[in-house]
Amino acid sequence: MSTLPEDGLVAVVKRDCPTCVMTAPVLGELARRAGIIVYSQDDPSFPDTVALRESDLGLDMSHRLKIEIVPTLIRLEGGREVARTYGWDRAEWERLSGLSDLGRDLPASQPGCGARNIEPGTFERLKVRFNETGLKSRRIEIGGDEDEQEAMFARGWSDGLPLVPPIEERVLRMLDGTGRDPQEVIGLVPPALAAATVEKIAVNAVMAGCKPEYLPVVLAAVEAVLDESFAMHGVLATTMFVGPVVIVNGAVRRRIGMNAKGNALGQGNRANSSIGRALQLVIRNIGEGRPQEVDRATLGNPGKLGYCFAEDEEGSSWEPLSVERGMKPGASAVTVFAGFGLQGVVDQKSRDPESLVRSFAESLKAVHNVKIAPACDALIVVCPEHERTFRDAGWSKARLYEELYRLCEIPGDELVAGARGIAEGGPASLAGKTVNKFRPGGLLIVRAGGDAGMFSGIIGGWSASGGHGSVPVTREVKL
Amino acid sequence: MAELEARGIPTVGVATTEFIEGAKAQAKSLGTDPALVFIPHPVQDRTNDELRQLADEHFDAIVKLLVK
Repeated sequence: MSTLPEDGLVAVVKRDCPTCVMTAPVLGELARRAGIIVYSQDDPSFPDTVALRESDLGLDMSHRLKIEIVPTLIRLEGGREVARTYGWDRAEWERLSGLSDLGRDLPASQPGCGARNIEPGTFERLKVRFNETGLKSRRIEIGGDEDEQEAMFARGWSDGLPLVPPIEERVLRMLDGTGRDPQEVIGLVPPALAAATVEKIAVNAVMAGCKPEYLPVVLAAVEAVLDESFAMHGVLATTMFVGPVVIVNGAVRRRIGMNAKGNALGQGNRANSSIGRALQLVIRNIGEGRPQEVDRATLGNPGKLGYCFAEDEEGSSWEPLSVERGMKPGASAVTVFAGFGLQGVVDQKSRDPESLVRSFAESLKAVHNVKIAPACDALIVVCPEHERTFRDAGWSKARLYEELYRLCEIPGDELVAGARGIAEGGPASLAGKTVNKFRPGGLLIVRAGGDAGMFSGIIGGWSASGGHGSVPVTREVKL
Repeated sequence: MAELEARGIPTVGVATTEFIEGAKAQAKSLGTDPALVFIPHPVQDRTNDELRQLADEHFDAIVKLLVK
């Protein structure tokens, strides 16, 4: 890398810039009358009007000088920069150079072009090369002959599927997705109770395959599961099936292209899949929560790879889940729910809500076991065709909750251990009483799914639902 | 458990043998070495009498760790 003059003029240009080309004769004038060193970002032979040319193909000097626009003209005095101007502006160039009558054939001014060193990708590479990333995570060198994927698998970072290598440039770009300080601690992740900084979460978001614009949603989801009332430690360690299910509401869904429609709970949408996955990778890699270690799940469920979808808000007669739970309409928010799997509710014949709600209620009574009540919380995903039936009959969400609870009152006699030939069940003292399948506030309803198909779903919860265990948590998505 | 001990309350954890690995992993994550007694798995489906018997069988081991 060359050194700058103590006193004098320096310019940074690129041939691929009409303004730089236009000012080439002026640079020649400056070279003759005052002396100047010109750095070229893309072609060492440009401008041929100046003898003292330096190649800055590597963009090191441009980065050091923090060039943003070309041409940039800088005046140095006593080894320090005292003035600079960018683009072509006769008055400014004359002021900096102390010369008059520059570029008399040129217009008074003309804007410059974007400098090469700040192009996306290039900027991050330069920061990495100059060790200016500010990243605090450990750097891990992988041997030249090592396969990246095998190296990451061997280190135990994977959930079983390939990861995107979290190289510095990718982590920097991911952090561009948020305005938050990379060293802000979102919370302590169980079971290791290790600090999840925005940076560490970004690393896992990279590995999961997220785009930078997904990061605020991932951060909100991590914040939500780390709320004490969600009991993430228990949700992880349990022998039961559950993992965090993430429901996204508000403007962010459209902005990042989430799927609330056909196959919303399935594969194929990058945002749905990678956001859910990033959350699980945070638990694994920051919290050290891994299957057959602290995670004692007997079966678990496929959602533990990642379980995230957007609510289908547009055209629904119901308020979005986040609004139901206190967020402002339109505000972007996530709700996390300790849940598992999907129990399908098929009803292709009900034309009225009274009949349809019974289909839901009878299915709900089977969650966990028909003999267990109260069983757990449950998240009901109502498909658009079913929501239409409730909407056409004028049933608000509140009315639907009310009816579901009423239909989920179960005679204690049917629940007692041994009743119906099943040893599972409750104590004999339940006889003669009624018990609700769900605790008050234990049901959540969202709308999602494609417009064709009378197939809704129930996502069952954790038996430790409520104040003594896990409750759903809603958090705003902050950019 | 570490929290209870820190408050001066002697604490012993009791779990079934299926959780030995889980306990090891958690202890490693937190850097603790808790006092633990493991009883035969399972417990969920035990009758009250069976549970009382298990408690009797492991009583001495639990007390020993409490007073250590």
